[in-house]
Amino acid sequence: MTGVELAPAEIQVLQDLTILVFAPFVSGAIAHVEARVQGRRGPRILQPYYDIAKLFRKETLVPEDASFVFLVAPIVAFVCYLTVPLLIPVLTSYPLPLGYMGDILGGGFILALAGFAVALAAAETDAPYAQLGSSRAMTFGALVEPSILFVTFTVALLTATDLPYFEAAAVRPLGQAVHPAHILAAFAFFLVVLADTGRIPVETHSSTLEFGMIDEARTLEHSGPAFALLKWGAAMKQMVLYVILINVFVAPWGLAGSRQLGSVLLAIPIFLAKALGLGIVFAVIDNSFSKLRLFKITEFMAAAFLLAVLAVLVLYLGGR
Amino acid sequence: MHGLSAAASAPSAVTGAAETVAILVLLSEFAMLRAALSRSQVRLYAFQSLAVAALAFIVAAERHIGELYVLGGLSVLLKVLIVPAIIYRVLREAPDDVATSHRFGVASMVLLAIVLSGFGIFVVGTMPIHSKLLPVLALAVAAAVILVAFLLVIVRSDVVSQAVGFFSLENGVSLASFVLAAGLPLIAEVAFLFDLLVAVVVFGVLMRVHHGRSASLSTRPLERLRG
Repeated sequence: MTGVELAPAEIQVLQDLTILVFAPFVSGAIAHVEARVQGRRGPRILQPYYDIAKLFRKETLVPEDASFVFLVAPIVAFVCYLTVPLLIPVLTSYPLPLGYMGDILGGGFILALAGFAVALAAAETDAPYAQLGSSRAMTFGALVEPSILFVTFTVALLTATDLPYFEAAAVRPLGQAVHPAHILAAFAFFLVVLADTGRIPVETHSSTLEFGMIDEARTLEHSGPAFALLKWGAAMKQMVLYVILINVFVAPWGLAGSRQLGSVLLAIPIFLAKALGLGIVFAVIDNSFSKLRLFKITEFMAAAFLLAVLAVLVLYLGGR
Repeated sequence: MHGLSAAASAPSAVTGAAETVAILVLLSEFAMLRAALSRSQVRLYAFQSLAVAALAFIVAAERHIGELYVLGGLSVLLKVLIVPAIIYRVLREAPDDVATSHRFGVASMVLLAIVLSGFGIFVVGTMPIHSKLLPVLALAVAAAVILVAFLLVIVRSDVVSQAVGFFSLENGVSLASFVLAAGLPLIAEVAFLFDLLVAVVVFGVLMRVHHGRSASLSTRPLERLRG
């Protein structure tokens, strides 16, 4: 096939653009599916785009006591969410040059920096709910960390590196994908994603009740373009986590194997289809479980931790 | 990457199945530890027993041991159907489902159980019993199951948990025996099952007597009586 070959740098820009452009679409599609499962008609699939466009036209209000951090934080978070896609296999199965810039832990640090910036902005306001949200988000974020660490250990033991590209390559042959350690780690990471995207056992992402909020409450005081960036950023974070879950752990198939323009572009709809499949799973979970009480969330985290630790133990003995 | 070539030369279907079943059994043991309702504990026990019986069938098919089919059938009958049914009946007569009989918070119990199962797995891992035919991992997980079952008996203060913990202890032992000595004479394994049957009867009587005396399935009243 003689097609246009893309330079690695172009592919990396394309990865970022994929996340940037399609993240609200994935969010909207999931919200739509969720409504359908509940028997509602639901918002339009493109609704998040309209929301973001509307917010960009609105004015920004800043709480009296807030400093510049309040306005800078959304931008920092947004840039962080744009950086992570450079490190993970969004479209290609082979590592791109910047993919060596950081491993899974590096990506985790950048995601954590984004979370930290948003929490800091929330703490800047004198609003009780925003501060409550930021303190909760930090607490539960710290509880999720051990599971992520042990998932990383599993990856490291399986592939002798902790680069996401190599884990995906190790999973690709089906024989390895059904390895018990890998299944345990993937499931643990699934629970982590569930917690990090504010899904139902941990948080009701569409609720307006402040007392149950964790991540959502942090952005209550923001308005205008800053809020638009935060919303967009949340959608991008969700998509980044989906990329890691799908393209690294669960189904690293259908990625572009060459630098041909056609195959790279084809990888985008394939990934969107996989993300929607995952989104449907999340929507079904949303509808079949109830939200955990706040003090029971530790049990959920403990379950994720258990699976991740078992994965490492299994690898220690399984030795494969 | 090194993992790949090794996975391709994975010993046999039995090893893979044994490992998967062992992990399922261990996970259901953890689930029993944290389950709030006695009924769900019983259901989990039935599931765990089913997994062990499935392993019996797999080993029987792979190694052509006819007796194991009989044993698997017997354990499905006994551990998946009869024992849960008996406990369910006791529970029906004692409808006050013990909601929280945890002595610690669930998260700390799970952490404790993780430490214990890690201990079990590492101890078996360091034992010099490595052989090509022996799925060491499944054996190690069986040890972990046994330790966690002990923990279940210790940290939950209601009669049903203690009975279920004891029964699942037997599941861990039979898991180990299928892995270690699949051809263990039928008579010995049937003796295990018979032991279990006796234990069920004894526990059934105990539960009923205890409930009759203290009008509750919790064992806390027993502690209060002391001294």
